[in-house]
Amino acid sequence: MIPLDRRSREVVEEVRALGQEYMRPMGLEADRSAMPPPADHPFYLLCSRQSGLVSAQVGADEDPQSLAWRPLRALLINEESAYWDRGVALSLPGPGLGGAALRSTATPEQHDRFLQPFADHSRAHWGAMAMTEPGAGSDVARIQTRATKDGDEWILTGAKMFCSNAARADWVVVWATVDASRGREGHRAFVVEQGTPGFEIIKIEHKMGSRGYETASFVLDHVRVPAENLLGGEEFYQSRKGFKGAMNTFNITRPIHAVQGVGMGRAAYDLAAAFVRDEYPAQGRRRQRALERLAEIRRGLQTARLICLHAVWLAREGRDNALEASYAKLYAPPVVVRAVSTALDIMGEAGVRNDRMLEKLYRDVKILDIGEGTQQVQRLVVSRRLFNLPRDA
Amino acid sequence: MDAFALTPEILGLQDAAARFGHERLAPSVRDHERVRSWPPDVVDVVHDFSSGADPLAKVVLLETLAMYDAGGLFAADIDGPAAATGGPGWLFVPPAGAPRRVEWAPGWPAIARVWVSDGGGDELSLIDTSAASTTEVDALAFHASGGIAIDLDGCPVLEERTLPVGGGAAVRGWARLWCAAVAVGVAQSAFDATVAYTTERMVFGKPVAYHQGNAFALAGLATDIHGARLAVRDAATADDGGFSATQAFLTAVDTAVAVTDAGIQLLGGHGFLVDHLAEKRFREARMLGLLFGGRDSAEADAAALVLDVPTSL
Repeated sequence: MIPLDRRSREVVEEVRALGQEYMRPMGLEADRSAMPPPADHPFYLLCSRQSGLVSAQVGADEDPQSLAWRPLRALLINEESAYWDRGVALSLPGPGLGGAALRSTATPEQHDRFLQPFADHSRAHWGAMAMTEPGAGSDVARIQTRATKDGDEWILTGAKMFCSNAARADWVVVWATVDASRGREGHRAFVVEQGTPGFEIIKIEHKMGSRGYETASFVLDHVRVPAENLLGGEEFYQSRKGFKGAMNTFNITRPIHAVQGVGMGRAAYDLAAAFVRDEYPAQGRRRQRALERLAEIRRGLQTARLICLHAVWLAREGRDNALEASYAKLYAPPVVVRAVSTALDIMGEAGVRNDRMLEKLYRDVKILDIGEGTQQVQRLVVSRRLFNLPRDA
Repeated sequence: MDAFALTPEILGLQDAAARFGHERLAPSVRDHERVRSWPPDVVDVVHDFSSGADPLAKVVLLETLAMYDAGGLFAADIDGPAAATGGPGWLFVPPAGAPRRVEWAPGWPAIARVWVSDGGGDELSLIDTSAASTTEVDALAFHASGGIAIDLDGCPVLEERTLPVGGGAAVRGWARLWCAAVAVGVAQSAFDATVAYTTERMVFGKPVAYHQGNAFALAGLATDIHGARLAVRDAATADDGGFSATQAFLTAVDTAVAVTDAGIQLLGGHGFLVDHLAEKRFREARMLGLLFGGRDSAEADAAALVLDVPTSL
């Protein structure tokens, strides 16, 4: 088994306590009302004050070596918080995916300018990142949002969708193209600050599940951003290295995204296991069948968790984990969808009742197989890495 | 992260086993099948490799050797699957009740003792089979391990033990983990051979593997192998009464069956010929899931333990 050190266990315990007190009830309320929790919810302020779900990922008594635990603790936090409510976990204040882009790409000046406000704990702050467009999801090379240089400014025009927390964010990292015919080579990332004229949220999407966080669509109607908001500066984009560097961000976020499914699968398992304990006959064929199916759920979840942990462990060791990150994102979501479905089988009609939460999990979980690169995209990535599948095959 | 960070000693063992497998096992696979054994000097090396190996080292070793030839492993490590009993002997998990015969066991070296673990329980018997009547069996796979049936009628019982609660599942769990490690090796070699063939063989103007239907299937299988390997290694370091080991067995044998099935399918008619090893691996993968009580016994043990093993880290 995977041995966790004391601080890692404490971190999981902290998340568990907050999950039970805040996240689960907030997620259920968001699901019922089909509205994410309001930005001024006291829980968000609480999280802002401690810069996240836990008081500190690295304990005060730990030596600097333990900083190496950070990615693994991020994984543990994500699994545990998704156990209580993945939607609410995604709604937590912080720079989000935009922060990941900033950390891998920004100039020191940009880093300070856009991340420093998160040290202000008087209110919650969010950041966001927008890549997907109505006509370009998995194939990001097809994005059409235009970036045109005009003196010391860039003019952005286009539309973005499926952007988490964009409506409440201080800024959004927006990906645009200077020349759509150049594919990824034409891409540039800009920080667009809330309130910039022409930046307009047009819709908070209504979703089947995962309603605990807002999913926004917005338009950019000749939005003028200063040249110093071009992420990384001009020279960053002179080589493919720049874009690839930004994409490498996802080698960490893919397993983290995938492990959220393990948390959700665990939640489904616990509901079904409790149902078997309480409602099934004490012995006999039906109970035996249910127990075997519970074990089947556990097999998938444990393997998924190991693949996610391994991908992050490789990153911690400073080793290339692009293939293993895709393994994680390819393996976990369908296994978890199946796990929740199996839990429904075990509970039968009792599982479809909204007050039992399992039907919510079934609605919540499917998005995992789509966001951060669909299962099909991961199969492409794995095929290219393992046997050089040509891009035009 | 013990299961991820292999020690230098284990990495050295893995490397040595791979070189040995490449040089001594792989070139003679079909010869070994024909004569139903491995040469004594090969067996000596396998014993040397196994000597003193802890569970994690052992599963890495089995996986590595199985990539080159799994055929004689059962005989070469005849006491290995029963290691959790604490004594030498072949392990047999009958489907139900008092068994009258062991349907399949390695044909060499001679089996003097058979441990019988009642499927699902904690009873363990040790039977003296030194004078038992045996019959050579032409089995589905593992021909290089020989293959005999042992008639247990009249064989004296040397010992009867009632293990502590859960002890039977732990004994069976280790035997299953032994199989699971072999299954990962068989699956990996099947995958490698499939990729080698399908990236060369052209169909409808491009390599077989480059058709998206096939590429996607191969990507999924590679992911499953990776997961099964991690599950096996993690189980080797687990202390949960055989739960993780039994779960890893189910994961690994299911993966091996799927990979070796694709290994024939994507080779087309060639996969069905003995000219390739795809058919051998296909047979081996299926047989691995039938030993030591098979999948059904494993599912029953996993079900018996599932509510007692916590889900959180």
